[in-house]
Amino acid sequence: MSERRTTSVAQLRKVAKVGDAASAAVQSALRPARNLGFPYRKPSKPKGVVLPVEPNTLGADFDTAWARKAPAKMVRTVLTAGALRAMVKALANPEVEGLDRLADLLEQDPLPAVIFAPNHHSHVDTPLIIATVPEEFRKQLVVAAAADYFFDKKLKGNLAALALNAFPIEREVTTRKSSDELRRLIDTGWSLVIYPEGGRSPDGWGQEFKGGAAYLSARTGAPVVPVFIDGTGSIYGKGMKRPKPGRTKVVFGAPLYPVDDENTRRFNARIEAAVTALGDEALTDFWTSRQRAANGTNPKLTGPEHNGWRRQWALAEQRKLGKAGQRRRQNRRWPDLG
Amino acid sequence: MPRPGFVLEVDRSTPPILFWRGENFSLEKLPADRSRVIYPPEPLPAIKDIDGAIRHALLHPHGQDPLPSQLFAGMKLTIAFDDVSLPLPKMKRPDARQRVMEAVLDMAAAAGVEDVHIIAALGLHRRMHEYELRHALGDRIYDAFHPRGLLYQHDAEDPDNLEIIGTTPHGEVLEINKRAADSDLVVYVNINSVSMDGGWKSLTTGLASYRCLSHHHNGHTLQNTRSLMGHREHSALHTSIWRLGKVLKDSGPKVFQIETTLNTDMFPEAYSFINKREWEWTAKDRATYLGVSKGLSLLPTKMARKMFHDIQSPHQITSVQAGDTELVHDITLEWVFKQQLVPVEGQTDILTLGIPFVSPYNPDSVMNPILVMCMGLGYLFNMYRNKPLVREGGVIIMTHPTYRDFHPVHHPSYIDFFEQVLPDTTDPVVMGQKWEQQYAEDEWYRHLYRTGNAYHGVHPFYAWYWGAHGQQHAGKIIIVGGDAPTVRRLGFTPASTMDDAFEIASDVVGRAPTITHLHVPSLLVADVS
Amino acid sequence: MSRLVFSRKPARFAAARLAGALMPGKGAAVGPLSLEPDERLPLPGADWVRLRPRLAGICGSDLALVDGTAAAYFDPIVSYPFTPGHEVVGDVATDDGGSRRVVLVPVLSCITRGISPVCHACEHGAIHLCERVAFGHLEPGLQSGFCADTGGGWSREMVAHTSQLVEVPDDLSDEAAVLIEPTACAVHAAQRYTGRETVIIGAGTLGLLTLAAITATRDADRHGPIIVTARYPEQKRLAKAFGADVVCSSDELPRWVRSTTQSLVYGDQLTCGAHHVVDCVGSSDSLQQALQVVAPGGEVQMVGMPGNVSVELTSLWHRETSIRGCYAYTRPDFDTAIDVVRRLDLGRLVSAVYPLGDFTDAIAHAASAGRRGAVKIAFDMRSA
Repeated sequence: MSERRTTSVAQLRKVAKVGDAASAAVQSALRPARNLGFPYRKPSKPKGVVLPVEPNTLGADFDTAWARKAPAKMVRTVLTAGALRAMVKALANPEVEGLDRLADLLEQDPLPAVIFAPNHHSHVDTPLIIATVPEEFRKQLVVAAAADYFFDKKLKGNLAALALNAFPIEREVTTRKSSDELRRLIDTGWSLVIYPEGGRSPDGWGQEFKGGAAYLSARTGAPVVPVFIDGTGSIYGKGMKRPKPGRTKVVFGAPLYPVDDENTRRFNARIEAAVTALGDEALTDFWTSRQRAANGTNPKLTGPEHNGWRRQWALAEQRKLGKAGQRRRQNRRWPDLG
Repeated sequence: MPRPGFVLEVDRSTPPILFWRGENFSLEKLPADRSRVIYPPEPLPAIKDIDGAIRHALLHPHGQDPLPSQLFAGMKLTIAFDDVSLPLPKMKRPDARQRVMEAVLDMAAAAGVEDVHIIAALGLHRRMHEYELRHALGDRIYDAFHPRGLLYQHDAEDPDNLEIIGTTPHGEVLEINKRAADSDLVVYVNINSVSMDGGWKSLTTGLASYRCLSHHHNGHTLQNTRSLMGHREHSALHTSIWRLGKVLKDSGPKVFQIETTLNTDMFPEAYSFINKREWEWTAKDRATYLGVSKGLSLLPTKMARKMFHDIQSPHQITSVQAGDTELVHDITLEWVFKQQLVPVEGQTDILTLGIPFVSPYNPDSVMNPILVMCMGLGYLFNMYRNKPLVREGGVIIMTHPTYRDFHPVHHPSYIDFFEQVLPDTTDPVVMGQKWEQQYAEDEWYRHLYRTGNAYHGVHPFYAWYWGAHGQQHAGKIIIVGGDAPTVRRLGFTPASTMDDAFEIASDVVGRAPTITHLHVPSLLVADVS
Repeated sequence: MSRLVFSRKPARFAAARLAGALMPGKGAAVGPLSLEPDERLPLPGADWVRLRPRLAGICGSDLALVDGTAAAYFDPIVSYPFTPGHEVVGDVATDDGGSRRVVLVPVLSCITRGISPVCHACEHGAIHLCERVAFGHLEPGLQSGFCADTGGGWSREMVAHTSQLVEVPDDLSDEAAVLIEPTACAVHAAQRYTGRETVIIGAGTLGLLTLAAITATRDADRHGPIIVTARYPEQKRLAKAFGADVVCSSDELPRWVRSTTQSLVYGDQLTCGAHHVVDCVGSSDSLQQALQVVAPGGEVQMVGMPGNVSVELTSLWHRETSIRGCYAYTRPDFDTAIDVVRRLDLGRLVSAVYPLGDFTDAIAHAASAGRRGAVKIAFDMRSA
């Protein structure tokens, strides 16, 4: 026993010696730097001065420009072509209609920028749109995402920018800065996805359309392409804990161009009516939708005027008409009388 | 700026010229200093805002009130449209008919029209498959109207669904689809690829019965149609049709005719060498040609056929006009000739034609020997105004493999026509008298036409009549590269190579004949002076 | 060496079968048929005479025998060794030392076999259906040319009962006379002709002769087209010459029948069809095609001898059609046959003759007759 102690003490001494030598070496290496100050070190703040406010790089001011440069674009193309589309197919299995309405836009050289204006029920909407727009638009697509939701944390914001090419936009009042930035993007050929409802539907019915898309279209001349997405609310609606795979339908509408001296509110109403008609077309057929559009009797996306349970009841009825209602028929087993 | 068509005088430095040969091509060297090649004009540019132009045409028709004012709730509206025999090759989606029809339906919906029938005006052609209807009209119209039974195809053999409108002073009976005859307004959606179509022809053949068609679809009339594509006054076919048109105008339903013309941008980028002048082929074009022609010769015919029939053409609308049939058609013809007319001086001893893989009567199908004759002597020979390109008694040389192959579902009566009628006679007037009635009244053909996807029993006769003028005009008709017994059954002379063909032709036109080659497939009409 | 003999040698049978499968007619070279020296046959009875053949034809049944494809059915009514040849024109001696030219009626019925009273069939004149062809004082043999006691046409001398001999009129050549026996078969077949749409499948000797017999003897009844299928150009030409309305190839037949009878189609089957279909080929394919194109309630007449064929009979049951055999002839048919041969100059159908020594070539030619533009091949014994 005493021998072990003797050994450990001897070892400790050895270690201490090594440690001393090391610290001496480091100290001697750092000696010249000990006297270094600013600019090698952070400056100390003098008394009595007003310090400038650090720019807040979160929320609406998040910098996403790097995501539109070549290396990030390449990463995103790979992601989209592979993982994103596979995920969309597995989760949403979309049926796409109305692409022929975009044929004339695709013929133009250079490809014009357009503003896609879909209804919004789920986070799945954005990957769904990215996966179903024509290839030519997909390469040059920016998605306007809620600044307070997607860009409140640095990591989340960067991820959104990389994977979806997201751009921060305020829900309620679009500031001059973000709208100028969006206009600049459109002018340089980037197409935009913007959800006129502002956010996802809280109860399964649509919300009133806000004027962002109309405003941008009027200022830039880029046409608005109304889009109706059916079925995502049942897959991963607001409030659901985890997504439930199902089927969806995406219907593209004819491009809407701004008319001279039409005010934003009127244009916005036109866009909302177009998406409403597309919704009718998706759930019934083209002819019924056109006939009701002529009368102004397409079923409203915002749902009936009721409250409470009747509103939910009507939602279920409406969902039966759409893709969510198409469940696989269970294999009946008929009685076998031998 | 698209260049006009022109006539190339072949000399020693002219490269070999591209000939269609069914599902392949060949390059033939034409003798210098006595051959000429007629090149079609380059494609005109398409309209910039097509949907806008269509709307404009509907709101500002010629000789009639704007369409919305002619539509009212409670009316009987019938929309008839051209069937799958054009355009060739098929158009990229959305098809012109889809665009026009959606615009019309939009206006109909706005006016509150409920009773709408949409009818494929196919005459005695075959019924279209579902995928063909979807391609021409788009999924939206198909899914909205077909399940309701409001979108269907004209049945010329349904006695309950035909109505006689009237008779011309010459005794021709106008008998058309009953629903159309009883409508308040018939809107016709037309695509005019060639000058033969459109005008009164749309309704009086597309929705007609056999009885009505037999007045002008016969050997005698077609022999006196010089030509199918030229001036109407010289065409017995069109003269008769215009008489029937007058009956339709005077006693039939109101007609709102919408006509569109297409440019000749017929082949996508991958096949661009087809439309280019040979001396302007780039290295890429030459490589493509070699790759394509070698590859095709190795592929089984079925696969080569599928490859060609799957081509979707970028051709687009160059004009759209609507309203009174005669006013509209005059404008249409102006545009057709603007795209296709090439002035040519004089006739030659020989006319050479490369026959493509498709005719209006075998879209997505097999080109049987009768259709080779129809395409060559019927369509391509008739691509002239004033005078044929070849002199009377001259020689016509066509290139096509002319295999003895028929599509059993689309062309059942063609098989019997080849086995029974052609060994007996190739004279269109004689076969009309001796054989046509039997084919017209055969119950089995009628059953296949009405319920399957078969051309009507008499259709092979009509295909043969189409070539009657060419058959009568030429002194000898030679097919290069065709199956010999089959070519002989058609009444023509087989040859293995172009040189052999010239050798055989020397019996008729001597040793140094003059030659014209019609450089198709891009459409052209030669204005021969 | 002037007598061909068919002997029972199982090994050679098998060889013939194999050779015949590889190329029709090749069985002759390796099979049980051989050239033997002359042998004088004893006369089987009082009414028998010696017949010296001039020409003897080669028939389809002979070819089947040589190639080993004839059915085992024939075994009990054939006796070995025998000399083949039942289409015979030859000479018999007359009482005054001369000779007369006769054609042989080869059927060995009761009367030739010394059976009395005659059987039921013979009593009614249907000698071809005689029930006693394996009995009586002759060896079994349905015809001369299949019987050990009678000899056959492919030799210089055979024996025949006087009832089997029919005088040949002087204006007919030997070639015409050798066609009389097969024409008699055709005349017998033509009796079933209904006058309505008729199809004759196969334009070999039997098919052409059946057509000829119909147009020669029953033309007055004709009020529907006669359609003949022919494979080779020479056959087509002759069919047209003998009065067929339509001559086509066998894969065109269903379409021709469909359009001439205004029939519809379900699957492979015509709904209507020809009322009378004569199968002059006798294979599974020809019989199946016959059933495909015959009208409901119609008759398929098998004139060509079939072997073991495999046929789907559901359409027969469903459409109440019948298949009926046709074999040989009665005596009166022979007399009619002479008339038909004369009128249509059927002697021109003898395309080639061979001496007995060249029997392998002769049989090979007969087996590929159609392809080589020939109809009837015969042995010629006249030179020696």
